[in-house]
Amino acid sequence: MIPSPISTIGPYFPFEFADDACDLTSLNGATAKGEHITIVGKVLEEGGGPTVNSIVEIWQPDAEGILRHPSDPRFAQADPGFRGFGRARTLPDGSFQLRTVIPGAGNGRAPHINVSVMAIGLTWRYVTTLFFSEASDPVLDCVPAGRRPLLVAKKQADRTYRFDIQLRGENETPFFAD
Amino acid sequence: MKRYDLYDERTQSLRYIDRYPKSFVRTPKEPLIARPQTLTEQTLAVDLAAQLHAGPLNLSEMNGQRAIGQLIEIKGRILDEDGSPIAGAVLELWQANAAGRYVHKQDDHIAPLDPNFTGQGRLVTNEEGEYSLFTIKPGGYPVLPTGWWWRPPHIHFSILGVSWMDRFVTQVFFPGEPLNETDLLYKGIPDREARDRVTFEMTETKMGDLSYIGFRRDFVLRGRKMTPEVDG
Repeated sequence: MIPSPISTIGPYFPFEFADDACDLTSLNGATAKGEHITIVGKVLEEGGGPTVNSIVEIWQPDAEGILRHPSDPRFAQADPGFRGFGRARTLPDGSFQLRTVIPGAGNGRAPHINVSVMAIGLTWRYVTTLFFSEASDPVLDCVPAGRRPLLVAKKQADRTYRFDIQLRGENETPFFAD
Repeated sequence: MKRYDLYDERTQSLRYIDRYPKSFVRTPKEPLIARPQTLTEQTLAVDLAAQLHAGPLNLSEMNGQRAIGQLIEIKGRILDEDGSPIAGAVLELWQANAAGRYVHKQDDHIAPLDPNFTGQGRLVTNEEGEYSLFTIKPGGYPVLPTGWWWRPPHIHFSILGVSWMDRFVTQVFFPGEPLNETDLLYKGIPDREARDRVTFEMTETKMGDLSYIGFRRDFVLRGRKMTPEVDG
């Protein structure tokens, strides 16, 4: 069967659908293990202008590098307090914020966070990956070396990491074929 | 675990749409980079329906009060490319009310809000991949503030399936609406058959204690069974 057509998320994705999913660090009364961090960033269009009501989604392993999915060989040890999936919306200045943990390495991957962005004007979903260093990783290694630093979150003040998403133009974030 | 082939662009929306200016300043210009699919791309949190409190949904009334507008039922199935049902998928939807107004704070269209209608909610597919809900047929509305064009009645759907790769967001149109033919996003899907895949089918006109018009829309998410010999 042929996949249905994707469309833009548009301007009116309910705030509530993002605001109840932007903190991944607790679930069912349990608190996530590992180092809790805040990821901050802006989603920007060509020329550096902000995007508003864009939706940034993430999916990542827990602090031990375990995915919250039965296909992970260590699934039984997955952190019961860590959600794995999260979502934030951008404010009028283009900024977003997510509370999560630093993922561990696992399943042949360096610590990483899958990131996608949907926005007014984007008729497709665009996906990228956040890393914490330029250490070898089967996905990061596909990116031309000169652009890899754009996928490494920059450590800021205590426990805050910055990851800007430049959709188009100068310092454009590398996106993956999807 | 499934494998996920790239979308065939001919079955999808254009990436750039004439007179839809944000597509030209936001769509990435650099070529998209090929990458392997490892376990993290092929999975997603297995308990999302519980995490997001997705459950039965009826948007047509609040506190026992019917929303204003034409009562409709929407039903459908969520399938993968093999036609296998996707059970436990989270489906989020949002729409304008019968007057063409969203409850969203940033909708400044002057059409009235309906105190008995939020037009948004989450539900989860059953073992057969089926979903259904009652709602109100949305109205069309002008795209403000730039006054580009009138949007036809439509309902937005966001689906969280079984992996990071089958994440799906779309909007679904009503059959035979004159505004469909001038809608930039409807026309932004060049292929007529593909447009039909995001258009409801009218299935029934129900009369009785509850009278309503039935509509149906199935969704096919990307993903098919791996062939062990080929994919290991």
